[in-house]
Amino acid sequence: MLFPAALGLGLPIGIGLAAIGSGIGIGFLGKGAMEAMGRQPEILPKLQVAMIIGFGFAEALTIYAFVTMFFLQGRIG
Amino acid sequence: MQTPRPGRDILDRALRASWLAAIFIALVLAPSHPYDALSLLAGQLIAFLHFIFLRKIVKLFTEKRGGAGALIAIKLVLVYGGLMALMSWGRVQYAPLCAGFALPFAALFLKSMMLAFGAGPASLMRRGKPAVLVAMFLALAVTSPARAADPLPSTSGTHGATETRPGDAATSDPSHPQPGANAAEAHHEEGAAELPNWLVILHDWNPGNPVINWLDENQVIVFAWIAGFLFLFISWIAMRNAKMVPGVLQNAIEWMVESMENIAGGLLGEKHIQRHFPIIGALFFYILTINMLGIIPGMKSATSSLDLTLALALITFLYVQFWGIRNLGIVGYLDHLAGSPRDAIGWAMLPVMLPVHVLGELAKPVSLSCRLFGNIFGEDTLIVVFVGATAMLIKASLVALAVPPMAGITALFMMLQTLTSIVQALIFSLLATVYLYMMLPHEEHGPDESHAEPHATH
Repeated sequence: MLFPAALGLGLPIGIGLAAIGSGIGIGFLGKGAMEAMGRQPEILPKLQVAMIIGFGFAEALTIYAFVTMFFLQGRIG
Repeated sequence: MQTPRPGRDILDRALRASWLAAIFIALVLAPSHPYDALSLLAGQLIAFLHFIFLRKIVKLFTEKRGGAGALIAIKLVLVYGGLMALMSWGRVQYAPLCAGFALPFAALFLKSMMLAFGAGPASLMRRGKPAVLVAMFLALAVTSPARAADPLPSTSGTHGATETRPGDAATSDPSHPQPGANAAEAHHEEGAAELPNWLVILHDWNPGNPVINWLDENQVIVFAWIAGFLFLFISWIAMRNAKMVPGVLQNAIEWMVESMENIAGGLLGEKHIQRHFPIIGALFFYILTINMLGIIPGMKSATSSLDLTLALALITFLYVQFWGIRNLGIVGYLDHLAGSPRDAIGWAMLPVMLPVHVLGELAKPVSLSCRLFGNIFGEDTLIVVFVGATAMLIKASLVALAVPPMAGITALFMMLQTLTSIVQALIFSLLATVYLYMMLPHEEHGPDESHAEPHATH
């Protein structure tokens, strides 16, 4: 298989896989935060901050894949 | 009757300002591009007539007098017919026409923004009129030398003179930014596509000028400066006459700063936030301003380049390490890096834990910068893709079919971009806070441990 062809196939798949992982992580985070908010609405501000930080960490994985794609994009074809 | 009506006043002043600007730009353009200057003035005239007729019609309607229908008919014939006739005339240049047409709208928008911000900026402008004149002549000085050396820069330019036209049209008329992607691709052939900003336009219009060349090569720096000065200017306007009962702008700024301080203070603790809020808040508001700048047509988010985000992340990293060393001492800092070995297992794990912790510290700036860059750049790319698709549809003369849905989708993604801008600025500053929190001694655990120890001795 040609290197550009492999890259052109692999990069989108890689981003998709990373997005699946991030999506699962963000989903779990959101679920936990929602449940905690429903149980204890008074801790909402503190919880929101922690939730957003967690979102940042989870989302970063997809962003790494995206940045990798951006750096390798020029080598396709 | 005794008070001047603000609507009439603001319209008059906006029209006057737009006429001044149009005549100035036409004078600058006239020696090298006479038809461009004429088109600009024509566009300005059409928009001026539009506003005048609109005011007359609104007056007739509100005062319940007849003749509105006739006036509307006259306006349709004169303004829109004139526009159609102008556009079908072969010599007219679309880009300056659109720019001239957009000028009164832009002036009206700026004037109403000033009105919304209170009398402060308006009085500032009134006092700053000499400064505005000086800036205009400075602009003239910057643009003139290369024109003298190169009388027809747009036709003898080094790159893609034919592609510069759509780029011109794109940013001079904010309602039609679609055809710009082609100009961006023509200009930055090696990089990824991005919407043309005013520096690219300036460079295409006047390629030989060293000042403009420098500005064009260092776009990230220029837009970071613009954002910084904007941020300073707005803060200065808001806090110039700080009162106990705040005005609109002061209230907004104070609310933003206070809520940011509360969020970061909830993580860092009351004592540390007093010392560290300046850098955390500055990071947040600076990144927010830079991100938001990209939404304005003709502007660019400087954070869509890895250089700026890496610089910000390195500043954060150095700040955090500095405070770590200062608070823990050299020995304590090394101890922290080694994972605080207290028993035999800890010391045995030292060769493993030390590199892991050092790598973890080094990964922080990389992750911070890549996160911000990736998010902002991704949003920009998304918008550029849709704008490019719209441009392609326009090229295939499917304007009526393409523009409304495509413009709607683009507007939707711009809303998403606003959200991303705020959230990413928040995440960057909050992660900086968390990294700082990891390095600082935690007083709130002190009393707990001292309570716990007597229990252990019992």
